[in-house]
Amino acid sequence: MTGPRISPLLITLAVAIVAIIVNLPLIGALLTSFKTDGAIVNQPLGLPLPMTLEHYENVLYRAGYDFPLFFRNSAAIAFGTVVLVTLISVPAAYAIVRLKLGGQWLLNAVAAMRLLPAMFFVLPFFVMLSTAGLLDSIWAMIIVDTFLNLPIAMVILARGVADVPIEIEEAAKIDGASAYRILTSVILPLLAPSIAAAALITFLFTWNDYIFAIIVTTSEARTVTVGVSQFVTSYGILWGDVSAGVMLSVVIPIMFAVFGQRYLVSGLASGSVKG
Amino acid sequence: MTSTTTGALARWVLSAPLLIFLAVFAVFPLILGSWISATDRSILSTTIDFVGLSNYFQTLSDPKFWSAVRFTALFTLITTIATLVFGFLLALLVNRKFPGKTVLLTVLILPIMVAPALMGIMFRLVLNADIGLVPAVLNRFGLDLYLFSPHFVVNLLVVLEVLQWTPFTFLILYAGLQALPQDVFEAAAIDGSSAWRTTFQITVPLMVPAFFVAGFLRAVDALRTFDVIFVLTGGGPGTLTSTLSIYIYKKAFIEGSFGLASAAAMLVLLMVVPLIPLVIRRVTTQVGDVQ
Repeated sequence: MTGPRISPLLITLAVAIVAIIVNLPLIGALLTSFKTDGAIVNQPLGLPLPMTLEHYENVLYRAGYDFPLFFRNSAAIAFGTVVLVTLISVPAAYAIVRLKLGGQWLLNAVAAMRLLPAMFFVLPFFVMLSTAGLLDSIWAMIIVDTFLNLPIAMVILARGVADVPIEIEEAAKIDGASAYRILTSVILPLLAPSIAAAALITFLFTWNDYIFAIIVTTSEARTVTVGVSQFVTSYGILWGDVSAGVMLSVVIPIMFAVFGQRYLVSGLASGSVKG
Repeated sequence: MTSTTTGALARWVLSAPLLIFLAVFAVFPLILGSWISATDRSILSTTIDFVGLSNYFQTLSDPKFWSAVRFTALFTLITTIATLVFGFLLALLVNRKFPGKTVLLTVLILPIMVAPALMGIMFRLVLNADIGLVPAVLNRFGLDLYLFSPHFVVNLLVVLEVLQWTPFTFLILYAGLQALPQDVFEAAAIDGSSAWRTTFQITVPLMVPAFFVAGFLRAVDALRTFDVIFVLTGGGPGTLTSTLSIYIYKKAFIEGSFGLASAAAMLVLLMVVPLIPLVIRRVTTQVGDVQ
């Protein structure tokens, strides 16, 4: 508690105003998505009355949009990336922190990857993936998004492993448990919150990735983030449909984030970076 | 088999997936990218010739590259400072007791969850001259501005970037504030230090490391800004709002010159690399300390 005394209600008011301002684009898209086309043009400031669901129906059922395909792709890619990142980073974090693999140097090198401009990697990835015939596939996206998220996951999990009291491990060692046994029975249960934080952040950044998705996918593996952003160019802008598409695309990450807020905040605050 | 040998073996077995992934998808792409930057490879190339450093010389003598460097540097500097200042003020405000705090905290950090590309599209909607919320409000006050004109567009992009990323710096700085030792503040209160003085003489100095981390992470992200600006202006009008990422993207996938694009990307990489040791130690030391 620092700074001058202000009445609590005034603070509520001030914070609420800031919260509305930073969320203005979301509020605008939400209102627009329920407005009739007439209301969108004639009443930019009006509430969506009468309310309509036609834009949501268009996005979900109109053939030209392919939204259900994009949505399935995004879900598959995000899920696959979370699994792969977890499988790679949990054992590696344990090996680095507790079994002293590569010391501080390896962890630093992995963390530094996150700071390199993604644009540099886009070109070699494009060449590699097209040579392998993987362009526009779910697998290609899982690979590039794993590359994007491994550094953050490694930092979060290394910190998680380091926070496990060493005494618990020593006790298990005296009982003759192997390194694998210690990892699975002793460390893993205690690591759950760190795994949740890493998984949640990986999910968010994968779902929201644009720069790799726009280059690696063309149609079959298109994700919602790229797909919906191209509603704008291909249909002369039908703002009602675009807003509904955006709303359907952001609802999943927002729900995940709201319900997993505790893990998200701890993960982001442990020095990670956005995607 | 003694426990040390199993430990030594386990160390490699457990980290094999990471090491293999890094070799194939981090080290190899770095080498490949460096190689491409020294060739005349294009998106449709059938024959690829080694051209040495000529792509680098060509990029360095391209005025569009330098205008992208200028725009990116300016954009990064201004938005980083602004998001730090606003994020800190907001963190000071939220770091108290007030009604509705839990809900408002959730609402405040919503923009972090939204894909920057989709944020860009929503900005286009609310700023649209005919149907947008913002111009409609401005019109009520008799202001009729074309926000995407060359005159306004740079300032507009700065404002939008600050709006979207203030919640992020706020979150990191708020976490930093909550981790500060409370006894210092109790002592200050007993000494009768004024609220302003406490903030400037105690809180701000204690928060320097948090500022550093938040500022650096934000700066690195601002340096590679692509999605929002690409969706909003495509880097235009002309190349007025082309960031380095947009410049590289256009070189590669619009003009089709992978060689030139890789050289430009390598130059950006070389600008960022010297900064990395500054922050990495701070991000990972806590892990080292515990060992």
